[in-house]
Amino acid sequence: MTTTSTRSDAGVAVTADAVLDTAPAPTRRRRLGKKKPAAAGPSDERGIISTNEWSRRGIRRSANGIQITLLVLLAIGGLGPILWLAKAAITPTQDTLRTPMALFPNGFAWDNVSKAWTTIGLDVQFMNTVWVALGVLVMQLVVTMTAGYVLAILKPAYAKVLNALVLATLFVPSVVLLVPLYLTILDVPFLGISLQNTFWAVWLPAGANAFNILLVKRFFENLPPEIFEAARTEGAGSFRIFWQIVLPLSKPIIGVVSVFAVIAAWKDFLWPKLVLALPEVQPLSVRLPQLQQTIDLGTYLAALAISTLVPIVLFIIFQGLFLKSAGMGGAVKG
Amino acid sequence: MKSPIKALTLTVSALAAIGLLASCSNGANPGGGESADGQVELSVVSLIPGTEQAAFDAFNNQVKQFEKANPDIKIKPVEYEWKADTFPALLAGGTLPIVYTIPFTDGQTLIENGQIADITEEVKALPFYDKFNKNVLSAGTDDKGHIFAVPREAYGNGLQYNRDLFTQAGLDPDKPPTTWDEVRAAAKTISEKTGAAGYMQMTQGATGGWQTTVATYAHGGRMEEIKGDKVTATLDTDATKKSLQFLKDLRWEDNSMGSNFLYDWGTINKAFASGQIGMFTGGSDLYTALIRENQMDPAHYGITTLPLEGKDGAVLGGGTLSVVNGKASEAQKKAAVKWINFYYLQKYLDKDAAITDAKTLAAANQAVGTPALPIFDKATLDESREWIKDYINVPQDQVAPFTSKIFDQPLVIEPTKSTQDIYGILSPVVQAVLTDKNADIDALLKQANADAQAVLDRG
Amino acid sequence: MRTPEPRAGRGDGPSIPAVTPRYSLVQEGTAATMTTLTKPAPTKRRRARNPRTWLRGGGLSNLLFAAPMIIIFGLFSFYPIIRAFVMSFQKTNLIADPQWVGLLNFQRVLEDPVFWVALQNTGWFALLALIFGYPIPLIAAVLMSEVRRARGLYSVLAYLPVVIPPVVAVLLWKFFYDAGPNGVFNTMLGWVGLGPFPWIQDATMAMPSIVLEATWAAAGGTIIIYLAALTGVAPELYDAAEIDGAGIWRKIWHVTLPQLRGVLLITLILQIIGTAQVFLEPFLFTDGGPANSTVTLLQLIYRYGFQNSLGGNYGSATALSVMLALFLALLSFVYFRLTSGWSKN
Repeated sequence: MTTTSTRSDAGVAVTADAVLDTAPAPTRRRRLGKKKPAAAGPSDERGIISTNEWSRRGIRRSANGIQITLLVLLAIGGLGPILWLAKAAITPTQDTLRTPMALFPNGFAWDNVSKAWTTIGLDVQFMNTVWVALGVLVMQLVVTMTAGYVLAILKPAYAKVLNALVLATLFVPSVVLLVPLYLTILDVPFLGISLQNTFWAVWLPAGANAFNILLVKRFFENLPPEIFEAARTEGAGSFRIFWQIVLPLSKPIIGVVSVFAVIAAWKDFLWPKLVLALPEVQPLSVRLPQLQQTIDLGTYLAALAISTLVPIVLFIIFQGLFLKSAGMGGAVKG
Repeated sequence: MKSPIKALTLTVSALAAIGLLASCSNGANPGGGESADGQVELSVVSLIPGTEQAAFDAFNNQVKQFEKANPDIKIKPVEYEWKADTFPALLAGGTLPIVYTIPFTDGQTLIENGQIADITEEVKALPFYDKFNKNVLSAGTDDKGHIFAVPREAYGNGLQYNRDLFTQAGLDPDKPPTTWDEVRAAAKTISEKTGAAGYMQMTQGATGGWQTTVATYAHGGRMEEIKGDKVTATLDTDATKKSLQFLKDLRWEDNSMGSNFLYDWGTINKAFASGQIGMFTGGSDLYTALIRENQMDPAHYGITTLPLEGKDGAVLGGGTLSVVNGKASEAQKKAAVKWINFYYLQKYLDKDAAITDAKTLAAANQAVGTPALPIFDKATLDESREWIKDYINVPQDQVAPFTSKIFDQPLVIEPTKSTQDIYGILSPVVQAVLTDKNADIDALLKQANADAQAVLDRG
Repeated sequence: MRTPEPRAGRGDGPSIPAVTPRYSLVQEGTAATMTTLTKPAPTKRRRARNPRTWLRGGGLSNLLFAAPMIIIFGLFSFYPIIRAFVMSFQKTNLIADPQWVGLLNFQRVLEDPVFWVALQNTGWFALLALIFGYPIPLIAAVLMSEVRRARGLYSVLAYLPVVIPPVVAVLLWKFFYDAGPNGVFNTMLGWVGLGPFPWIQDATMAMPSIVLEATWAAAGGTIIIYLAALTGVAPELYDAAEIDGAGIWRKIWHVTLPQLRGVLLITLILQIIGTAQVFLEPFLFTDGGPANSTVTLLQLIYRYGFQNSLGGNYGSATALSVMLALFLALLSFVYFRLTSGWSKN
């Protein structure tokens, strides 16, 4: 991640920029504050400790010591619970209850996993989670891409108003929305239908995400306007420009928005709990707390393990994108 | 549009105006439901989702039979199961059918909220209206005597116990405790001999207050006193103090309540079914949930009556009410009560209906013959039990300690005013007693009583 | 005045919410100089009045592209926001027509003794979350920024808890927190002769236990944000400090931390905004218990609206939502003033 700004308070903006940097040929980038010349280069060339200091034995030793300790702590904190869960998922219930830290004192209970998947019907909720996440992803991409295009490139006269309105929603904490949005879902204005117990109840409100629109708009503003001018003089309409120029150039930002959308959808709890009241449409996060009241502990822990698997696998595959997005927004948890 | 701020202000105020209009016009939906040929369409709850096809076939037969007898009514069955965590969403969503069922506990709240229909006239017109057990009927009646709900089945709270843990602890599962002192002694023995919690009580949400009310009634107290229009909270009587002191002794002196104290209806059932709890108080209809949802071994299940103390010692009753949606039209209300009579009540009054019902339940793998209280009189209940005795699948000797004595116990329904609020106020008190060694029961109850009175005063 | 806010989880998590790139703050900013610096020169286009010119000028297609945003935001953002304010002055049961009740809903909330407990608890949660959750990620990030080999491994490990779905994490920790001697944590502490502790079964210990889990779950995200900011510190500044003879500690104190103050302030305010809306953890761990010791404001809103009285009390729920929202908007305002103060320095 190369950065160039010197502004003390632009830390986050700087990292946002790192993502935006992947935009092709940002020839007209504007910066706040002074532009810092040529600081680019591998950022781990040096840090707080200088090469000089590294060569001192005392410093190197204690630095290495601290770093190894840190690694061990991170491994215990980050990996420990996941490994324990994986173990418990295939341990008989009574063993987990009596000796939770023992390693398979009485063999395995592989059927926990199959029971969770089939008997409890977790496969249904699993697929629901996938549908919810995919729908949220599509919805957010449609809204953010078109909105970004309007606000940053097409810029009709009312774009400013729209921009101000969308930004204003960032000001309103989501807590205000809880009850009225719920009632809106029960009786959608103009349509007069209830979206309760349909995925639309999660998909549609997820589209109203001002933060992602902002990201996309920023990204589009950094695209070289010459491309669009050229396309226009060649007679390309708004739609062609959108399909053939903007979208192909947007891959990096689509990646970031996708990560945000899928993770948020996979994790969301309160909202789907309110609008998806029936088990047949509930995602895992809503179903799991209810399962703790009924099913056998071993099966239940296997269910928790299954629910964790996909996010972890996704993370391992796309770690670069995940960490980059996290550095940008940290919008991931919560 | 000179400045975005100005534009924003303008737009917001325009939107505000629209919002005002929209929220004012969103009034009551007319019940409707009448088709062109004068037929009334009546949506009713049928069976629990996921029930076997055989049971649905039996249900559909009943629907046909009803429609034949009432050609002007068209029944639209909807699968349904009352669950604490999904019901509020269904209620607010307005997606509930016209006829559905709720537990006694919710009756008064729904009446106060105006969410269920007044069916006084229709119910009073039933030929067997006088046969209703007035005590049970009052669960669905408001303070002015208007009837909003018809009891479908009733139960009493009892002491649930795990026969297996009793045996392990060297206690005789056929001779469960009969006084609170014996309960305490048994809890201590179970705790010492088996490591399980000897005794436990629900504590979370409204359930903590609900079961504290059960214990208070058993000790001869009540939660509120109604004189004319004036409702007085009586949460801090000796009976409540005694029942909390009982918990305190078990928890802090005997240490016979284990180490986890946050339980609601679902989690305590699960812990009990898996042998982590020896005894707890709960409705006599729990058998179905314990066996079907929590996979408890039926052989381990036992229930006995609560020890009653004082001259007013009584059993808190509960049960299921059938209600008519507040959105129902007049025609639908009439049709609804006809259906309630046919589907829910006739099984107590008519032999064929009783057998059909039992067959349906058995086919659906549901419990038949859980200990119940009469919604009419005891003779009627006994007779209906006799009709279905071939279908009974609940081990009757294991529930005998309860069924042999419950009819001698006075049955009282729940507090009728702001029930859920009062329960909600009591739950933290129970939690405090169980998690804080120095909890001052008197002071906590005094405060709870003041809070409850404030809620009652504002109505 | 563009304030970022926690978006991803509908306010049901503490943790580190969305951070808006600071660009947006300035880009639409108030200071004229800034605007000229940062705004791409707007392409002047005459406003088309004639419908045909409007159409030819792409007016219709513009509108088509704007439509998704207008419809979605209109229906699912603005309409509910306005409705929240309207409803906070109404009594409604969704069956009868709503009645105007003035400030009664607000009065009811303020008279509810649980409200004051919830307010206190939410403050306590926020404070504990700061004590646990603020320094740890910073220290970890500073240490990690000096790692030369396998830094990726550090990041991945630190970030793993963030990837676990919060519901799973809470339910798992709830099991870890079992208060019996055979609980997972109690077993481990038993190895060194400690415990057993009651964890969430005790009014005093419950909140810190919950915050511990929340910190564990969120720290990774904050670490990555700080790491990103740390890589943005210009090496020349360290070089310069060394010329002045600064050692490692002085470099951290005089270069690193001042360079991070912007991002530190942002995460601070955003963490407060996030923790003020905490729901998931206390809801799933204890449902507010024992003895209301962990009931939070958002949980109270949920109880009013959806739980206690079978979804009856929408009035109180929206009234409390509005009060909380106004408080958070105030915080956002303070945040904005502070940050614009920073950028002037």
